[in-house]
Amino acid sequence: MKTMKWLIKRELWEHKGMLVWAPAVIAALIAALALGSIIMGNHLNFNDDSSPLSIGSVTIEGTARMRIVETMSQAYMVSAMPVLMVLSFVVFFYCLGALNDERRDRSILFWKSLPVSDMSTVLSKVALALVVAPLITLGIGTVLSLLILFAACGAVLAHGTNLFGAMLMSPDLYLTPLRLAGLLPVYILWALPTVGWLLMVSSMARSKVFLWAVGTPLVASLLLVWAEKMLHIGINASWFVTRIVDRILLGAVPGSWIIFEGDRVALQHEVHRMAVPETIFTASWGTLGGISVWLGVVAGVAMIATAVWMRRRREEG
Amino acid sequence: MSAVITAGNLSKTYGKQAALNGASFTVEAGRIVGLIGPNGSGKTTTLKAILGLTQFEGELTVLGMDPRSQRDALMNEVCFIADVAILPKWLKVKDAIDFVEGVHPRFNRSKAEKYLANTKLSPNMKVKAMSKGMVVQLHLALVMAIDAKLLVLDEPTLGLDILYRKQFYQNLLEDYFDENKTILITTHQIEEVEHILTDLMFIQDGKISLAASMDEVGERFTEVMVEPQFVAAANALQPMSQRTVFGKPIMLFDGVPRLQLSTFGELRTPSVADLFVASMKGTYA
Repeated sequence: MKTMKWLIKRELWEHKGMLVWAPAVIAALIAALALGSIIMGNHLNFNDDSSPLSIGSVTIEGTARMRIVETMSQAYMVSAMPVLMVLSFVVFFYCLGALNDERRDRSILFWKSLPVSDMSTVLSKVALALVVAPLITLGIGTVLSLLILFAACGAVLAHGTNLFGAMLMSPDLYLTPLRLAGLLPVYILWALPTVGWLLMVSSMARSKVFLWAVGTPLVASLLLVWAEKMLHIGINASWFVTRIVDRILLGAVPGSWIIFEGDRVALQHEVHRMAVPETIFTASWGTLGGISVWLGVVAGVAMIATAVWMRRRREEG
Repeated sequence: MSAVITAGNLSKTYGKQAALNGASFTVEAGRIVGLIGPNGSGKTTTLKAILGLTQFEGELTVLGMDPRSQRDALMNEVCFIADVAILPKWLKVKDAIDFVEGVHPRFNRSKAEKYLANTKLSPNMKVKAMSKGMVVQLHLALVMAIDAKLLVLDEPTLGLDILYRKQFYQNLLEDYFDENKTILITTHQIEEVEHILTDLMFIQDGKISLAASMDEVGERFTEVMVEPQFVAAANALQPMSQRTVFGKPIMLFDGVPRLQLSTFGELRTPSVADLFVASMKGTYA
């Protein structure tokens, strides 16, 4: 356990730029854009009464006010979406390099001179991709969303309506990030085949890891499509593309499961009159009822095991 | 004295090329052994086998363990510096110390810090910003602070200037080595290690061609500056090699009694380098 803590720290030292700074910079950009437009908006209102943008001072009360607070407290995490999308790239490229960089610069000889098993090393990288990186991103995303939310409330306040009290009292404000964090297990299970595939390629390829990781499934799909069309053999190429290629390349995208299982789990918030975040939460956990996620988990674990074996047996230098 | 390493009939091929071809040897505890051989003779493969970094055929026991199956446990007792400059570029001095302290049960932090205090390395320095010599200093500081039973060095001073090289071996001898430790070292810079070695192993074409303590080497091999009138008689004793210095032939003999040779001329103990050249004759021919 102590070893694992240090292995994770090690990964953070090495990849701080990718894991922390990349999402942080994106978040800062979004914040700057959002705050900029809020401030600019206010500016117009106060200085130019003839402007068509001018709303002047309004006081919103009653049901309308409640609806606004409800919507805002449920939907404010939407501002974090771009940051969460960055997560897919971070996880993808982190995994591609995880077992290849150390071989390329030969530092693997140093890591292997320490009493740390190949299993713990590879597992620390899996944990980083599936737990640490998502939590860091979610943290940054939450801070960003809260910042924008409060800035928006501040802008509304400038127009005479104070939403702060109601907003801070709204349980959704606190529940929304927690619900997202509660989706982490779903994310882990759906991202496992991608992480496993990328780590396996990373442990095998001598160079050009990206080409191997992306090229192999794409060429395989093309061949299958060709065989299906030209030879009229009963292969279902599109099944291969959607069930295998998508799963090993796009599994690290947060929310990918909604697309993968779109035909099976529908977002029925209209029907059940549930709030949107709650619907997503329930539907996401609902995807775990299907078989396909578990097949992916099995494949992912097998590929991670292969990566461990490769790191143990492969010769360097 | 128990054997730290026992190797029997080690074999390993890369494709059709044999890297190890039935090498057998033992290394006793408390020795500094030089494994010396020409390029491609199987030195590095031998070290990799000992460290569990490669698969091979034959029998090999290191500190009572099989490096193929018990590598993780073995690494508690064994340290190695493989080549120079294999520390990752992004690593900071303080992080390196923290990490090794965190994962190695036999690491003594104060020892490493004491050693680093005598260098120009500062805690926040990254490997990227270090010269080759400094990287080796950092690596040596980490390794010397680990109380390992066996230290394996593969060309540890390759590409370093003479100041770093001398300091490296001096530190190794003065601050690290004791009777409980064993050091196995390969290098091409024979002159620089020969005075610190206690044992010598020559490896040629994947086989051990000579394994002896330095004392035995001194007894067994003799170099004679033969006076001209004794050249024919000396040649009859089949010298290993012969070269000419100042017009006089210098012959290297294996196993001929010194008393007998002393009649031919001036005697001396050959340097390891001379011995190496003589015994590897024809390697690249």
